[in-house]
Amino acid sequence: MLKNLDLYWRIININLKMRNSKTKFTRLSILSFLLVFSSLSLSAQEIDLLLKGGQVIDPKNKINAKMDVAIAGGKIVQVAANIPANSAKKTVDVSGLYVTPGIIDMHAHVFQGNDLGSYIADGQTAVPADAFTFRAGVTTVVDAGSSGWRNFRRFKEQNIDRSQTRILALLNITGNGMYGRFEEQDKTDFNPEMTSYMITKLFPKIIVGIKAAHYWGDFTQVDRAVEAGKLAKVPVMVDFGEHQPTNSIKSLFLEHLRPGDIFTHTFAYGPKDRETVVDDAGIVKPFIFEAQKRGILFDVGHGGGAFFWRQAVPAIKQGFKPDVISTDLHSDSMNGGMKDMANVMSKFLNIGLTLEEVIEKSTASPARVINRPDLGNLSVGSEADVAVFSVKKGNFGFTDVRRNVLKGTQKMDAELTIRAGKIVWDLNGVSGPIWDSPQALTK
Amino acid sequence: MQTYFKTLKSLSLFLLITFFATNIKAQEIDLLLKGGHVIDAKNKINGKMDVAIKDGKIFRVAADIPSSSAKKTVNVSGLYVTPGLIDIHGHVFHGTENNYLSNSLDALPPDGFTFRSGVTTVADAGGAGWKNIDLFRKNVVEHSKTRVLSFMNIVGGGMRGVDTYEQDEADMDAKLTAASAIKNKDIVIGIKLAHYIGHDWEPTDKAVEAGRIASIPVMVDFGKALPPLPLEDLLLKHLRPGDILTHAYRYDQEFDRNGKMLEHKQAIVDVKTKKVKPFVWEARKKGLIFDVGHGGGSFNWSQAVPAMEQGFHPDVLSSDLHTGSMNAGFKDMANLASKFLVLGMPLADVIAASTWNPAKVIQRTELGNLSEGTEADIAVFRLREGDFGYIDASGMALRGKLKLEAELTLRKGRVVWDLNALSAPLAK
Repeated sequence: MLKNLDLYWRIININLKMRNSKTKFTRLSILSFLLVFSSLSLSAQEIDLLLKGGQVIDPKNKINAKMDVAIAGGKIVQVAANIPANSAKKTVDVSGLYVTPGIIDMHAHVFQGNDLGSYIADGQTAVPADAFTFRAGVTTVVDAGSSGWRNFRRFKEQNIDRSQTRILALLNITGNGMYGRFEEQDKTDFNPEMTSYMITKLFPKIIVGIKAAHYWGDFTQVDRAVEAGKLAKVPVMVDFGEHQPTNSIKSLFLEHLRPGDIFTHTFAYGPKDRETVVDDAGIVKPFIFEAQKRGILFDVGHGGGAFFWRQAVPAIKQGFKPDVISTDLHSDSMNGGMKDMANVMSKFLNIGLTLEEVIEKSTASPARVINRPDLGNLSVGSEADVAVFSVKKGNFGFTDVRRNVLKGTQKMDAELTIRAGKIVWDLNGVSGPIWDSPQALTK
Repeated sequence: MQTYFKTLKSLSLFLLITFFATNIKAQEIDLLLKGGHVIDAKNKINGKMDVAIKDGKIFRVAADIPSSSAKKTVNVSGLYVTPGLIDIHGHVFHGTENNYLSNSLDALPPDGFTFRSGVTTVADAGGAGWKNIDLFRKNVVEHSKTRVLSFMNIVGGGMRGVDTYEQDEADMDAKLTAASAIKNKDIVIGIKLAHYIGHDWEPTDKAVEAGRIASIPVMVDFGKALPPLPLEDLLLKHLRPGDILTHAYRYDQEFDRNGKMLEHKQAIVDVKTKKVKPFVWEARKKGLIFDVGHGGGSFNWSQAVPAMEQGFHPDVLSSDLHTGSMNAGFKDMANLASKFLVLGMPLADVIAASTWNPAKVIQRTELGNLSEGTEADIAVFRLREGDFGYIDASGMALRGKLKLEAELTLRKGRVVWDLNALSAPLAK
């Protein structure tokens, strides 16, 4: 109470100063200020968790500075320099570390199940989200078309509703999602109406877009997906890699997709069935820049077969940067060159993107792409999904999907991950009291 | 005399041919791990040696094997080369039922956790019982790159839920369990008893009976009985030498009906005196095995630190991997091994307790070593020095200067994990 009185006094002083500077204030406005400030001061004393001394990188709010982050009631309540530790129930020293919004991995496969006949939909190639997300700083994944309108409900009940990670989804234009390459060729199963209803009528908060993938034929699948995207007013993500001979990506970008639609596996190299963005001479094809200018979004989707240094390195050198960094996490990518989201982000750090760019392309940018401005930032009032990274210096090696190496000197480690205000990963025990210290519980 | 020379001649010819033959073989090493520090407890190796692999098997372990004899050489100098780790307490009977750790989402597909921490073999600790061991084989064993084994639950339906299924004594059948274990002896290496809350020894004795019939060890997760059963009786009267007490460093605070705090029924360290209880030493002498089984709630500094200080080291390090432990204090086997390093256990002992010791405990002595001719399951670790921290099951931290990281993992001679691209060519 004394503290509050002190605060009131200061506020009144501020108001008096403002009056002196010829601003007119009625008594009522002073009173309302007092009420607002008193409620703020109460919450300031009730910070649940204070991350103190870190370098905050929050691209959406244009913050890249040493600041403290205060969390209460599972939400961000303040981001500012020098928030006093005595205003918080628990303070974690994160000095020397980078504090960012919880990472969004826009391309993962987490419809884990035991249908042994299936490839990814309810199959063993999909993986449990929580096993890979928090340890890499990820708090939200977007499942990229594992399910379609016929089996999305099962995905939701079985995996989405039971994960700590926030799982959003792109719904496959194929009714049963990624059941198998054979089933994914069925044109009669590309149903824009049912796909869009699943989004607009049933799950508008979870399904954030449409996926078209693995199709061997012409542009039919993409066009149906775009039709569904128009009906549901959501973006379409295209994996355009299995056409023999290849379909033109210039035509895809300039004639079939809409601004805001997403091309994934941007740096893949399989010229027989997927047209590349960088030509054989190592030059980014001119229409790629045109497409990006038009608003086509380029997603990494690293995966087990879709990231090649000889595409990514020249592209970035020539100024073609991906809009979104993502993993394409599944059981065939997890132990290869991909590993986890922090490793994929580290790759881009070592190719020459700045840390701020890497964070932007893994937080604010994917949030914008999937029309979820509530995510991927540390704005006051947003759900407290936070990642804390260290950037190790040393000699590291990173492989692409053909096991070629790029040597690097920096590697990101997820030190602390917070989901809805709860610590869900703590690599080095920075949030726990020393076991035999007076602060420790009696356990 | 003539025949003597003849024999000598043919003998030297034989030797010459043999020499050439081995030489030709030597030129056909598929993969050579060069310059590392090999720790192989079974073969009493703890020094700088090269490891050669051919046809998925260990071909040779020796100093200075020439690179020219290998198709591919990986420089592992500065790193530790060990047998692939064996984790005898995982929960990998993943599935989609709401069945706790039996065909359920609380159990995890192994490959996402094993290779990245140097593990090549994992034993599921009681997820399956005799009624669903076939499903376990079909869904998990046959679909994992990790070698998957099983401690089969004495409960026929496996670890389906603590409150009901796992209390059903009618579903605990020693004969059927043993019969199924024998039938599935390629994957079943032990019997598990866990979570029993009754105040009687029948389930324990049934598990031991099944173990006796099938000639395999029993692993017990003890301490849920109400009112408590004495740990001393379990170790000295009911279990056999070679049987396993898991969650060795667990300490749960428990209270009686009047809210009075009870001495935990399983704690091996006396909470008041901080001494390892005398009967625990006696049990070790008798041949009982003490397994870590860290899990989400079964490893506490308040038990582990005094026990380690008094020299009570674990026989076996293991994970108790499941969704409740993966993101908490446990994390992965390399993290767990690091904890014991910072508690003062020598690296060679930590490796032995994660390779050769568990191999002996589960009677699979073809595993956990780098003897010539064994399947080439290998882990290569970096021992990082710096400021690290580790948390226990109650969220308490301990700071340390060491951390093990799995750099390279080989299963059957194939690279299945390569953290820093040691085995890969440079990009052209």
